[in-house]
Amino acid sequence: VIWLIKFAMLTMMPRTDSLPGIADTDVDGFLRRMRLDAEPVYWLGLVVGALVFVLTPLVTVGVPLPAFFLPHKVLERHAERLVMHPVYLLRQAVFLVRLSAGMCWGADTGVRACFALAPYSPDPGTFRER
Amino acid sequence: MSHTAYKPPGAPVELEADYVVVGSGAGGATAAVTLARSGATVTIVEAGPFRDPPDYPHSVYGTMRDMVDAWGSNFTRGRAFWPIVQGSLVGGSTVINSAICVRTPPDVFDRWDREHGAFGKDFADAMGIIQDELERELSAEEVPPASMGRHNLLALAGATALGYESHPTRRYVKACAGDGNCLQGCHGDRKQSLNRTFVPEVMARSGSVVSCAPVERIVFEGRRAVRVTGHFRHPRTRARGADFSVHARKGVLVAASVTQSPPLLMRSGVKSRALGKGFRAHPGAPIFGVYDEPVDMNTGATQGWSSMAFREQPGFKLETLSLPLDMLSGRLAGSGPTLMNRLTEFRHLAMWVQACRAESVGEIRSGWSGRPIVHYTLGRDDMLRFREGLVRVAQTHVAAGARAILPSIHGMPYALAPNEVGRLKDAPLDPRAYVAILSHLFGGCTMGKDPARSVCDERGRVHGYDGLYIADASAIPTNLGVNPQHTIMALARYFAQRILD
Repeated sequence: VIWLIKFAMLTMMPRTDSLPGIADTDVDGFLRRMRLDAEPVYWLGLVVGALVFVLTPLVTVGVPLPAFFLPHKVLERHAERLVMHPVYLLRQAVFLVRLSAGMCWGADTGVRACFALAPYSPDPGTFRER
Repeated sequence: MSHTAYKPPGAPVELEADYVVVGSGAGGATAAVTLARSGATVTIVEAGPFRDPPDYPHSVYGTMRDMVDAWGSNFTRGRAFWPIVQGSLVGGSTVINSAICVRTPPDVFDRWDREHGAFGKDFADAMGIIQDELERELSAEEVPPASMGRHNLLALAGATALGYESHPTRRYVKACAGDGNCLQGCHGDRKQSLNRTFVPEVMARSGSVVSCAPVERIVFEGRRAVRVTGHFRHPRTRARGADFSVHARKGVLVAASVTQSPPLLMRSGVKSRALGKGFRAHPGAPIFGVYDEPVDMNTGATQGWSSMAFREQPGFKLETLSLPLDMLSGRLAGSGPTLMNRLTEFRHLAMWVQACRAESVGEIRSGWSGRPIVHYTLGRDDMLRFREGLVRVAQTHVAAGARAILPSIHGMPYALAPNEVGRLKDAPLDPRAYVAILSHLFGGCTMGKDPARSVCDERGRVHGYDGLYIADASAIPTNLGVNPQHTIMALARYFAQRILD
């Protein structure tokens, strides 16, 4: 399912003239780590969010196709309308996708440099073992 | 001094102490150190791991993974799904909060006395004395001017221009360096979080800490609590480890947090009609201001400014709160190129929040997997208060010179010009329009005289049981309208002192 989540994230945080996109970060490594680290209920929420993203073009742009098959501009419009959708459950479902994408993007050294932010040191993940 | 961390499956770990304290956050660690100072042996049993500053993460991802309970996936069930943010490590939420120190307002004691019975003036006086002690022990001080950072100074200027009271925040931080990473744990070790203060003191006084050890059950002999049991859980892999059992010669103090203490008592068979009832919170939500000059909100104290001017009427508190870049995209509206263009303004954003003194009451239940389920929805009066708080935040941004306001409210424009701030007065009253969080939680094991309406009495003793006490915010029967850490610690110390009487 990682590719499914990645597809949604790439659409939500694309490269622009002024900023790198999530594709310019190690999003694959990030998602592999997250699958191992995240609480199962968090990961489940992320998967559900990605599924909602893929399966709802009909309710956002009126196209009865999965999001993979949408032309680029229509896909962008689908993403924009979904995160602002009047149905709370729909926009809330993709909230975790956007939040997690931001965690990956905002921690990237290249992205941080664009904002004059120092790179993050690695998260040690250690604890007192005795 | 002893610390027992995760043990793989094998021989069970068995320990014994005079008092067993479940949880090591503001309530548990303070109760434990108070008991330990009397010469009693104390064992703290904490669900999360023991992390020191070199173990602290830097990124939001690392913070979610290493410090936040269940990756922040606990949320309210009600009209809106609002996340509940709590720490899960030795020291509890004191490691990841801003260590804000606000004395319990006198009207809170009056209300406890009036609505829940017999707390009286002696109780309020004793709490005041304890809060004096805690402020000395944990070096409470205002954010020094050099550590304020521009986002806090702007808020101060905005409030001054509008003519309402506000001030640099008083916190348990010794000589703050203004690193702006309070919420990831203070890497500079200036914050006096309880994993750096009271918990080590308990260990130095012959106490012990068992970490990575979520308590599953309190075991009773008749009506007396005599031990706690559970099994270790690895903090990274979540692998089940050895069983543990800690015998309490004199008593068990439950301080597992507002969301965890009631389910623990339910799982343990404690009978009380009030158990899980009376949940309250201060729901918080932000408003961004966009400024011409860079603000760099991650420079300076994370929450270095606050105002209590509106605490009593209409009922909210205002604070600054800086957000790291890797959390921002979840807060700004939009997607795709629109979102990316909005993110370019990061350095020019300041985020200030209102924390609503909400009167709505919810309930905590235990889910099938043992996870807490919090049922909670803000009523209309609270939503009016909540919205008014946001209007005040927006007005403060305008007074501080913001060129635009970002409301982050569904149904409102992404940005408002300074002369459009009045439109916020017509913002929706539906909680689903807001992305709020709940971080100040109360109730679930509330204290009071009447066993039909409360779980424990005014000394923390669980009604109808011996040797079982509550020592965290779950005992607090009302909201406070101020940051609760100081009240929680004082109450825990007060209860511990009564146990020793």
